[in-house]
Amino acid sequence: MSKYFLRPPGALPEADFLGRCIRCGKCALACPYRAIRVAGLLDGLTIMGTPVIWARQSPCYLCLKCVPVCPSGVLDNRVKKREDVRMGTARINKKECLTWQGTFCRSCYDHCPLFNEAITMDSELRPVVNEKKCVGCGICEHVCPADPAAIIVIPRDPG
Amino acid sequence: MKITPIRRTVQVLSLACMVAVPLLNSRGISAVSGSFYSVGIGPLLLTDPLIAIQPLLATMTIDTTLLASALIPAGFALVFGRVFCGWVCPQNILSELFDAVGRRLGLTCFFAPGPVSPARYVVLAVILAITLLYGFPLASLLSAPGIISVQTARLIYEGTVGLELALIGIVILAELFLVRRVWCNYLCPVGSMLSLFRSKRTMRVVMAEEGEHACIHCRECAKACQLGLNPMGREIASQCHNCGACIDACREMTGERKPLSFRF
Repeated sequence: MSKYFLRPPGALPEADFLGRCIRCGKCALACPYRAIRVAGLLDGLTIMGTPVIWARQSPCYLCLKCVPVCPSGVLDNRVKKREDVRMGTARINKKECLTWQGTFCRSCYDHCPLFNEAITMDSELRPVVNEKKCVGCGICEHVCPADPAAIIVIPRDPG
Repeated sequence: MKITPIRRTVQVLSLACMVAVPLLNSRGISAVSGSFYSVGIGPLLLTDPLIAIQPLLATMTIDTTLLASALIPAGFALVFGRVFCGWVCPQNILSELFDAVGRRLGLTCFFAPGPVSPARYVVLAVILAITLLYGFPLASLLSAPGIISVQTARLIYEGTVGLELALIGIVILAELFLVRRVWCNYLCPVGSMLSLFRSKRTMRVVMAEEGEHACIHCRECAKACQLGLNPMGREIASQCHNCGACIDACREMTGERKPLSFRF
């Protein structure tokens, strides 16, 4: 698991996020898919109370209802379209991916909300992530039939 | 008219709201949404003043929306004292409940001795200093009402609660076995912050000058005070959260002569 967590859409870079998020939990209340979870003490003292998304369990469907309710502005209100979201980038583990290993599967390609943009098919009908377009919602990770998921979202660089 | 029944009604409503808001939110009705950290009522945003200044200290960025949202709660405290603590806060409701249980069971515990008003501001200052030095919003992790409300929402949304609730358990045990009402009285940073918004005209319990003759020195008011304060003194200590228990106890003894009352 990555050291950084997948944050809701519009989240500021991690260092700023941790300092400015007031841990009020309103984004979690606003999420109709209950994808935004409130991190607990076991996730780490500095993380505790902040919103995290465990994409494998329930990904972000990019409805963006959480962004305007954030009182502290750590979810950036300027993010209004799903194409603007930059939560992270999906990465395919070709050794685990069914299609890359020869079985036909297009779950991630079919379910990607930026259809045929963020995940495309190469000439041999294998899925490829377009890192410039991928917003990191994690739907691909959620629907991947491989176990563990062969496509996972790497949270955006803390930068 | 007794104050305590009115206050109990407000407390029950507070708990009901704390449960109803996440329940309604989870069904898509979100006109009111939030927790005791920050709540949005339609377009109106209200934030705990202590919570609202944290980002300013932690990252030195001025967020006017967030700071402005603390003005109404701060103004309310300036006019009515820290009534949030006495009338609304779920931690105070729990602490009051366990204090009553503890006394019925005969558990011995005492009020901390000596002048404590400045000590609580030291606790608050240390917490804010840590926020400033480490860029970390520590008070959010120490806000008992915030934790209780967020964990209630989590229970409704996810069916589980987090270890954060341990703080609430520790507070209750410490209050039962060590120092009576230690959290609200001396430690809680949320309450200490609210008591900073206090002026000469802030509502408080006052022994009326004309009432001094009416006072029969029965000390029932001091006995009734859960925080161990003495309402008969010249100036009641700043941690008084205007619960009004002393006024009720006084009326019981002196009838309509009313030596004690709320005054602005």
